Amino acid sequence: MTIITILGFLLIIIGLWGMLTRKHLFRIILGFSIIDTGIHLVIVSLGYIKGRTAPIFDADLSPIDAINRIVDPIPSALVLTAIVIGLAVTALMLVYVIQMHRHKGSLEISDYEELKW
Amino acid sequence: MIKRFFSLIFVVLLALVFLPLVTEIKPLSELGMTSAKYAEDGAAELGAANLVTSVVVTYRGLDTLGEVTVLFITTAGIGFMLRRKTILPEKKRRASEILKSGTSFLLPLIILFGVYIFVHGHLTPGGGFQGGVVIASAIVLLMLSDINMHPDHNILNWLESLSGAFYVIMGILGLILAGGFLDNRFLPLGEFGKIFSAGAIPVIYSLIGLKVGAELVGILNKLGREDK
Amino acid sequence: MVNPIYIFVIALFSAFLLPVIDKLGRKVTLGVFYLSLTAIFAVTLLWFRAFGEGALIENIFTAGSLPPFSINLRMGTIEAFIMLFVNFGALLGAIYLYGKLLENKVYALMLFLTLIMGVNGLIMTRDIFNIFVFLEITSISLYALIGIKQDARSLGAGFKYIIAGGLASAFLLLGIIYVYRITGNLNLDLIISENPLLLSKGGLIALFLVVVAFLIELKPWPANGWALDVYEAAEPGISAMVASLVAAGMVFVFYKFIPLLPHSWHGMLILFGMLTFVFSNLTGLKQKNARRLLGYSSIAQMGLLMAVLLLVRRFNDAMDIRYALSDIAAALFVNHFLAKAGLFWLSGIINKEKARDWSFNKQPVLVLLFAVFIFALVGLPPFPGFWAKWTLITKLAQYNMIGWIVPIIIGSLLEAAYLLRWFGATIKREQTEQVIIPRYKILPPLLAAIVLVIIFPSFAPYMTGMKTMFFFPLLAAAVLWLLDVMPERMRGMVMILILAAFGWYIYPLAKGIVLIFEFMFIAGGIVISLASLNSARPKQGYWEFLVMLIMSLALIPLAKSSMEFFLAWEFMTVSSWLLILRGKNGEKPALTYIMFSLGAALLILTAFALSFAETGELGLVLLSNLNIYAIPVYILLALGFLVKAAAMGVHIWLPGAYSEAEDEVTPIFAGMMSKISLWGFILLFGYMGNKVLGIFELPVLLGWIGVFTAFFGALMAVFQEDIKYLLAYSSMSQLGYMILSVSLLSHLGWTTALYMSVTHLFFKGMLFLAVAGIVSRIGTTKMYEMGGLIKKMPASFISVLIAIIAVSGVPPLSGFGGKWLLYTALIEKGWYLQAGLSFFAGAIAFLYLFRLIHTIFLGQLKARFREVKEASLWYIVPQFIFVGAIMAISMFPNLILKPIMAAVETQFPSHVNWDGYTVITALGYWNGNAVMMITMGVFMVPLIWLLVRVNMVQKVEQFNIVYAAERPDRPETTHFAYNFFAHYQKAIGFLVKEQITNFWNSVSEWFHSLSATFRHIYTGNGQTYALHIIIYIVVLYSLLGVK
Repeated sequence: MTIITILGFLLIIIGLWGMLTRKHLFRIILGFSIIDTGIHLVIVSLGYIKGRTAPIFDADLSPIDAINRIVDPIPSALVLTAIVIGLAVTALMLVYVIQMHRHKGSLEISDYEELKW
Repeated sequence: MIKRFFSLIFVVLLALVFLPLVTEIKPLSELGMTSAKYAEDGAAELGAANLVTSVVVTYRGLDTLGEVTVLFITTAGIGFMLRRKTILPEKKRRASEILKSGTSFLLPLIILFGVYIFVHGHLTPGGGFQGGVVIASAIVLLMLSDINMHPDHNILNWLESLSGAFYVIMGILGLILAGGFLDNRFLPLGEFGKIFSAGAIPVIYSLIGLKVGAELVGILNKLGREDK
Repeated sequence: MVNPIYIFVIALFSAFLLPVIDKLGRKVTLGVFYLSLTAIFAVTLLWFRAFGEGALIENIFTAGSLPPFSINLRMGTIEAFIMLFVNFGALLGAIYLYGKLLENKVYALMLFLTLIMGVNGLIMTRDIFNIFVFLEITSISLYALIGIKQDARSLGAGFKYIIAGGLASAFLLLGIIYVYRITGNLNLDLIISENPLLLSKGGLIALFLVVVAFLIELKPWPANGWALDVYEAAEPGISAMVASLVAAGMVFVFYKFIPLLPHSWHGMLILFGMLTFVFSNLTGLKQKNARRLLGYSSIAQMGLLMAVLLLVRRFNDAMDIRYALSDIAAALFVNHFLAKAGLFWLSGIINKEKARDWSFNKQPVLVLLFAVFIFALVGLPPFPGFWAKWTLITKLAQYNMIGWIVPIIIGSLLEAAYLLRWFGATIKREQTEQVIIPRYKILPPLLAAIVLVIIFPSFAPYMTGMKTMFFFPLLAAAVLWLLDVMPERMRGMVMILILAAFGWYIYPLAKGIVLIFEFMFIAGGIVISLASLNSARPKQGYWEFLVMLIMSLALIPLAKSSMEFFLAWEFMTVSSWLLILRGKNGEKPALTYIMFSLGAALLILTAFALSFAETGELGLVLLSNLNIYAIPVYILLALGFLVKAAAMGVHIWLPGAYSEAEDEVTPIFAGMMSKISLWGFILLFGYMGNKVLGIFELPVLLGWIGVFTAFFGALMAVFQEDIKYLLAYSSMSQLGYMILSVSLLSHLGWTTALYMSVTHLFFKGMLFLAVAGIVSRIGTTKMYEMGGLIKKMPASFISVLIAIIAVSGVPPLSGFGGKWLLYTALIEKGWYLQAGLSFFAGAIAFLYLFRLIHTIFLGQLKARFREVKEASLWYIVPQFIFVGAIMAISMFPNLILKPIMAAVETQFPSHVNWDGYTVITALGYWNGNAVMMITMGVFMVPLIWLLVRVNMVQKVEQFNIVYAAERPDRPETTHFAYNFFAHYQKAIGFLVKEQITNFWNSVSEWFHSLSATFRHIYTGNGQTYALHIIIYIVVLYSLLGVK
């Protein structure tokens, strides 16, 4: 599943580029979200084993030979947590932007530079 | 311009840092020691057909409690950040007839689907988070179709608080009655693959489902309108 | 024991239920909230106590499975220790925020609880993904809490913080998932035991990503602009928590990962930590905003702590690592935790952005708190930071990591510079408006300060081997402070009684040379202190610092170990600095003084550390056994003592310090404190003797420095207009003679030094006391404003007259004996050039001494002084005690010379014989008694003749002068005493141009402009800060050389 991994890293790099070069606050947050998505892709891809099935037991999959038939369940569990956390951070960033806009009326990152040195 | 140039250079360099992670690390071919043990004993130990659920709710239950907490903090944080009076958005267009009728038809189905997802979290793909999100989407639909409809703040609060508190109580029960905090085995494991099985997992997942649903609705609610 | 998981349960349960409970009213909610925090603190307290009683590390499993299959927590001594402070800080922080919590929505309480839960989780969990989850709980709670203050600045800062934190979490997550991919599990302990798996290229990159994420959370220089903004703009109660308990969590996580780091990374990471320490402090120099300043200091301290955590790994011995952790890392941590939180809280109470707007010197509580926190941060005794720095530097020396001492010293000095400057300026600034102190806001800093004070013995490991008396200065100061209600003179009497009792206590411990020093310090201290009784005005802090100064001076010669020596030395430094600061214009000179003194102290500390490294023990005696480090120790000690002696080149602190200190204190500085450097040299030469570096014999070098100090000191004294500056330079010059003679390393040389030292105490005490008395009457120290006071102040005149005769070294008074001994000793050793130059310097001394007596007492009396009375008896009595002493030893030199010679004989064989009152050396003899008799005779004849003729003198009226119808612009220029030695100034003035002062000024200037340059990287743009982080990661990666 290397292709998904590569795709994940590609998204990370693209998101980072967006985060570092866009001036608009929403786009910076968008960049951040793209990074997050990339990471989630990487996480999932690392748990995949070619030709195996989801780790859910049913009529076709009994616990006895599960060890050779399922993909790694842990990354799936981890990515769930990561997604929720990513959502939380994104939501909070958006709220910050709303409030910043209310106080200063600007959505440009370069308008928030009065603290320095 | 110089900054852009630097950004480009260092993003490329960072990509080079990452490169060995893709080239050197071969795709997984076998389960690692932890997941191998889950695959072998997970079903028998916890009685849940969905192994991911076992991991999420029990083995790594502390993570999940943390995750629920994160969502909870976000709701609180958003409420906290938007605590000041805000200007109401301009008049919204009324929803179309199609949306309204569609909503009244779909709403019960979506909610039912959401409940199904989190109740069967230990058996089939899905679980508390997914179910909660589906339920929240139903409420969003409702809010879209009727612009004057706003979920009752109090009910949301109670739902959030109590489901969260019961989740913690479940954890303590595991600590007192079974092997450790968040151990699901203080309730009988039941028959493998049936709805009443896997000990406390369905209970916990239902609580999570309620909490997540309530919280997401709360977030949307707060982002969408003035909060006093 | 209570399962620590209940910490999470308590926090979450109340956090979840608070919105519902809030329906019952905010008071109830707050009650539940504070109860929960108290319960959490109680749980950690129980654990901490259990570990104190020897409990074993406890692993707490969850989910009924064993790790690595489930998440486990660990509660050990270190965890309990850190959590104890975190939860204590949380409770205090919550109390501080009481007002905000009351008026804000209930969400703030919930966020606060989850924040605390997150930090506790970070500390306890042993699962790496769980660390990520707790990190996010902590960060997100914090992001939201930063919004407690809603203005554009605070929000902007918070947004930058989220971007940086988000980037750090992203890298952390990537790293963790790859660590899992490679090792197959998430349990930290298992990963550590299977470390080799991670040594592949992919593994190292994964590890690097994890570590760099936590480095970013520790706010490394220079990728830390976002953190500075938060420190500056957020509500101070929140900044306090970021700087203390959140930082504590991050540092501890970093600590947990250290066993995973390849050894080859340590050096580079230490370097980055040290860079943060030095450069953050450097950038702080230019900072004007109080909270941002605190931010720089916090970041610096975290850098140091990080470096220390890695440095101790290099100690070979497991026991040493354990002790180093508790004595260095834990002490630094506690010190910074309490002091920094306290300062942020204080900044919230004062509520002034600019550091220069702080003023509260009429509110003693605030002054006291400010002092405790600043002193603790600077690492002054007795606070934990002091012991930590001592242990750190000695251990570094012991393990041959001497190079790392340099950045520690530079960083510490820079930090001291801006913190103490801030302290001095704030204390001296006249308070114009009352600071309103809400009770709930003052309680947290108060408790933090109290803990800081009572906790220090647990971080002072060397105290066990130390005599209790080395803490007496502190104790005496505390007693006097508690007696604050007494009338001022009564307090002074108590202080003198304490000194006398102390003298009686230490008398049996002192013999030989030590006894001579103790005599000077205790007896001199008592006599000079009498003068301070002249006024009944309340003097805050005066007696406390005075008793501390004198007692620590007396303790230094009694020190048997380097630790004792250094502790007493630091007590002396601090108390004298505070005394200078009390002076009316004391702010600037005090800063110069303390910077030089701290520099000297650090040199001495390094020398002791090297000695400890070689001998493995602290005893000062062992200096004589040194072999490998002998030369560096010798040079470092000599440099330290030269600074203290204000030798040529490092003298610029002296004139200001002496002159701007209060008039009653100056004689103690000049007469007593200056001698401590002489004791230093005696210690140095006594234990280490003569050392040769290349072609230079070091004592010869020191002798030359001494003679130049004597020469230039005298020369500079000549051109002063201010009488206290004149005397200050004169003291410097006299110290030069003493250094010169002690460097002779001969019996006669040391005898000379000690003899001069005692007589110098007498006559400098007289002169400065006389000046103090005169100034107390006429209110000026400018000599051209005086004149003709002989009739108004005859007693002062006599005392000054006797003193200058004694100083100048003409017969018959004791100074002559000193000079005679000096020249004899120099010639005996063959130091002819030095003898010539010091003779020349002696001649110059005549000039300024003549000016002294002439401009004050002779000439015409100024109109406005016509009503002036003699100085108060409080000044006259101690002067005449000294006059009596000078007369006695001039008549009977053996009174003092014999004991000195006997004392010195234990070091060097004597070539001196006695015949009655006559001292006989190979070069000649001196009979003080006979000289006195003859001179008196010679003096009496003209005196009697003049007395007979006195009636024939014709008086001229005061204003019998004509200016030829011109009014001078600067009237003082017409006074004869102004620019008294203009002709000499023309001839040799170029020698005393302020080149050295300019040099040190430019050093300071250079550091400041460097600071200005470096801080321009903080552009204020959140995106640039994100770029900084990326650059930091890439640079660190390439420097670590991951293969």
